[in-house]
Amino acid sequence: MADTGNNFKKKIRNFTFKALKATVKGILFYAIYFVLWMFLAPISDMVPGFQQMIETFVMVYILLMIVGELASGTIFQYFFNVAKALFVIGYLIFSLKGGIFGLTFQNVSLMVDLRLFLAIAMLLSLLGLAKSVLQAINYMNEKAEYTRI
Amino acid sequence: MRVPIRMIGIATTFFWIFLIAFFVSAVYSVKDVHFDFGEPQMDVTSDNKVVFSLPVSIANSGFYNIGSFNISTEISDKEGFTITRGSTFVPVIKKNDVVTITHNMTIDLNDLLQQDKNYLFNDTELKIYEAVSMRIADVIPVQASTNFSMPWGAPLYNFTLGEPAYAPYNLTHFRVTIPISFENHAFFDLVGDMRIRMYNSTGARVGRGRTSLEAYGNSPYNGFIEFYVSMTGTTPTGRFEVYFSTSIFDYGPLVIPYG
Repeated sequence: MADTGNNFKKKIRNFTFKALKATVKGILFYAIYFVLWMFLAPISDMVPGFQQMIETFVMVYILLMIVGELASGTIFQYFFNVAKALFVIGYLIFSLKGGIFGLTFQNVSLMVDLRLFLAIAMLLSLLGLAKSVLQAINYMNEKAEYTRI
Repeated sequence: MRVPIRMIGIATTFFWIFLIAFFVSAVYSVKDVHFDFGEPQMDVTSDNKVVFSLPVSIANSGFYNIGSFNISTEISDKEGFTITRGSTFVPVIKKNDVVTITHNMTIDLNDLLQQDKNYLFNDTELKIYEAVSMRIADVIPVQASTNFSMPWGAPLYNFTLGEPAYAPYNLTHFRVTIPISFENHAFFDLVGDMRIRMYNSTGARVGRGRTSLEAYGNSPYNGFIEFYVSMTGTTPTGRFEVYFSTSIFDYGPLVIPYG
């Protein structure tokens, strides 16, 4: 009876710690976004929907990060990490329209070729994806070893 | 297995930070690049070509060099036929550097008139395609382009020869006076000669004359030409053949019937 009570307390403590960690990570990520946005703000005047695009990305990314953090210590953490990496890949491809970004402002057409940036971001995201898969495999391995012992 | 995974994580994070910092700073530094377009100038070369010059000053106060800076202009007529195109290329504009270039475009009016003499006599519109491209921080290609129309003013707009007035000169010849009028709608001054040949109804040449032209840009011109024709060959009807020889173009014959 006393063990059950202790376990419950331990679980609550663990969850509180995870929630705290997730909150700190989320705030930190948002602070970084806030600082970077100050540099990118001049573009938002020229590119309609740019701020919305970035904000949606940051929102979903922070959400996946918090959920992943809350699920840490379970296999679901890696699922969310994989989802995060896939989201980054998908969002970059769709929002940057394949790397050729064009817009028309009054009578002036502006074309920015971000294919190199996109390619590097894709590679890094794939690396993140591979890392999450490896982590999941490692987690399952370690779990299997503990179960056998 | 944990150590290699952690190393992948560290490396990925490092490269992400580097990529984002580079991208944000490159975009941010664009606001410190200033373009200053000067007054366009026009000149006529020794081989009678019109050269448009546009001085452009680029001040790069950003964090990175600008590579492959290029300005290109294409002038075409209403049907899309390319009249001329010009391009100016600067390989590198270093950071904290100011580069002044002159973007030149050459139009050979003689070539243009070979295609369509309407440029001499009728006002029209020219389409201009302007594109500026560069590589921000030497790696991010950016291109801005625009289309606009520019009015073309004909240098001999509404060119007309009035009715010839005959006055006896001597026993064998008349002195013919023909009024000339046109409006120079062009941006350039028209300075040169006009030659005229008069043919009678049978096609025989009965006289010829020459006068100098000096019509300033965007102003009307009224003058006359005088020459002598033989009394025997003159008929009430016939044709004039007019030839223009100016500092910018040569054109002729322009056939105008009379009578």
